[in-house]
Amino acid sequence: MLPEPTWWIWPLALFAVCFAIGMVAVLAGVGGGVLFVPIVGGFFPFHLDFVRAAGLLLALSGALSAAPGLLRGGLASLRLAMPLALIGSVTSIGGAMLGFALPTDWLQTALGVTILAIVALMAFGRTQDLKAPRPDALAAALQMNGVYHDAATGREVRWSVHHTPAALVAFGGIGVLAGMFGLGAGWANVPVLNLLMGAPLKLSVGTSGFLLSVIDTSAAWIYLNRGAVLPMLVAPSIIGVMLGAKIGVRLLRVAPARVVRRVVLGLLLAAGLRAVLKGTGLWN
Amino acid sequence: MELIYARWLGWCSRVALAVLTGSFLLYVFGAEPLVPLEQLPALWRLPVGEYVAATGAPTGWGWVYRLGFGDYANMLGVALLCLVTAVCYLRVLPNFFGNGERALGVLALLQVIVLVAAASGLFAAGH
Repeated sequence: MLPEPTWWIWPLALFAVCFAIGMVAVLAGVGGGVLFVPIVGGFFPFHLDFVRAAGLLLALSGALSAAPGLLRGGLASLRLAMPLALIGSVTSIGGAMLGFALPTDWLQTALGVTILAIVALMAFGRTQDLKAPRPDALAAALQMNGVYHDAATGREVRWSVHHTPAALVAFGGIGVLAGMFGLGAGWANVPVLNLLMGAPLKLSVGTSGFLLSVIDTSAAWIYLNRGAVLPMLVAPSIIGVMLGAKIGVRLLRVAPARVVRRVVLGLLLAAGLRAVLKGTGLWN
Repeated sequence: MELIYARWLGWCSRVALAVLTGSFLLYVFGAEPLVPLEQLPALWRLPVGEYVAATGAPTGWGWVYRLGFGDYANMLGVALLCLVTAVCYLRVLPNFFGNGERALGVLALLQVIVLVAAASGLFAAGH
C-alpha cells in the first residue's frame, strides 16, 4: 500500500485543477461549479459532502464577482430575477437538506445521472431570440419587462416574458438540484429564461448569473451550518478558479471555442460516468 | 435600482474575497488550526457528521467562538460571502417601497427572511 501523501499535495492539486477549470469554463461558456463537483468528487479523496459545499461556494463567488458588471450593463434584471430567485432559494435549502439526508452512494449516482443529462442538454440544446412575447397575468402584475441596450447591435431591445407560473415551478426544481449537488445552475437557468419564458438570450445569460448569487447563498448557509465547509478545500478552489478565469478571458480571443466546448463536454461525460460508477460501487 | 445593487454587490464581494484570501494565507502559513493540517487527509474522507464527531468541529454559528484558530478564521471570509446577497437586498428594499413598487418590495423582504432563516441555523440539525 502506498504511503499517504503529505497533506499539502491535495490542496495544491486542487488549486491546479481549479485553475484549469476556471480557464476552460470561461472558454466553454459554462459555470465552474458544474465542472468542479463531478471532477473533484470523482477523482479526489474528499467526501462528497465537502465537495458539494466547496462547489456551491465556488459558484457563489463566481456569480458575486460577475453580477455587478451584468447589472451595470443592463444585462441582468432584478425584476425578472427576484420572483424566480425567491422560489429557487427556498427550494435550494430543501435540496441541501435532502443531500445530507440521502446515502452518499445514492447521491453520487444521482449526481452522475444529472451530469449526463447536463451533457445532453449542452450538446443538443438550442436557444432562441424571438420578439418579446405577450406577458402572462403574473408577469404583467410583477412588471417583468423592460429594455436593455445591446452593445453588439447598438439597439435598445424591449423584452417581456410569459409562462411565469411554469418558470416558477422550473426554478423550484433548479433550486433543489443546486442545493443538493452544490452545482451552479446556469446550465438550467438559461434554457428556462430563454426558451420557456421568452427572455432574450443575452438577458437570460446575465440574469442567470445574478440568480445564482441568490439561490446558492441560501443553500451555502445550510452547508456552513452543518460544518461541511472545509477551508482547505474552499479557498484553493475559489482562488484557483478565479485566477484561471482571468487567463481564460485573455485566451478567449485566440482559443478555438468549439474545440474547447467539445473538450468540456468530454470531461463532463467522463466525470458523470465516473460518478455513476462510483455511486453504484462498480468503480470505487 | 440595478446600479445601487451593483455598487453594493461589487464592494461587499471584494471585501469578502479579500478576507477569504488573507485569512487562508494566515491559516496555511502560521495561525494554529483547530484541526491539525497533517490530520486532514484522514478526516476529509469522512461524511460531515463523522468529521464533526471526530474533530469537535463546530456546527451552526459555533465557528464564531473558534475565530482564534486559523481554519475557523478563514470561515469569516466564507460567511461574508454568504452575507453579501442579504446586505444588498436590505440596501434596495426601502427604495422599492419608496418608488411605489410594492410587489418587488414584498419579494425583497421575503427574500431577506428566507436568507436570514437559512443563516440562522434553523435547518442545521444533524443526519
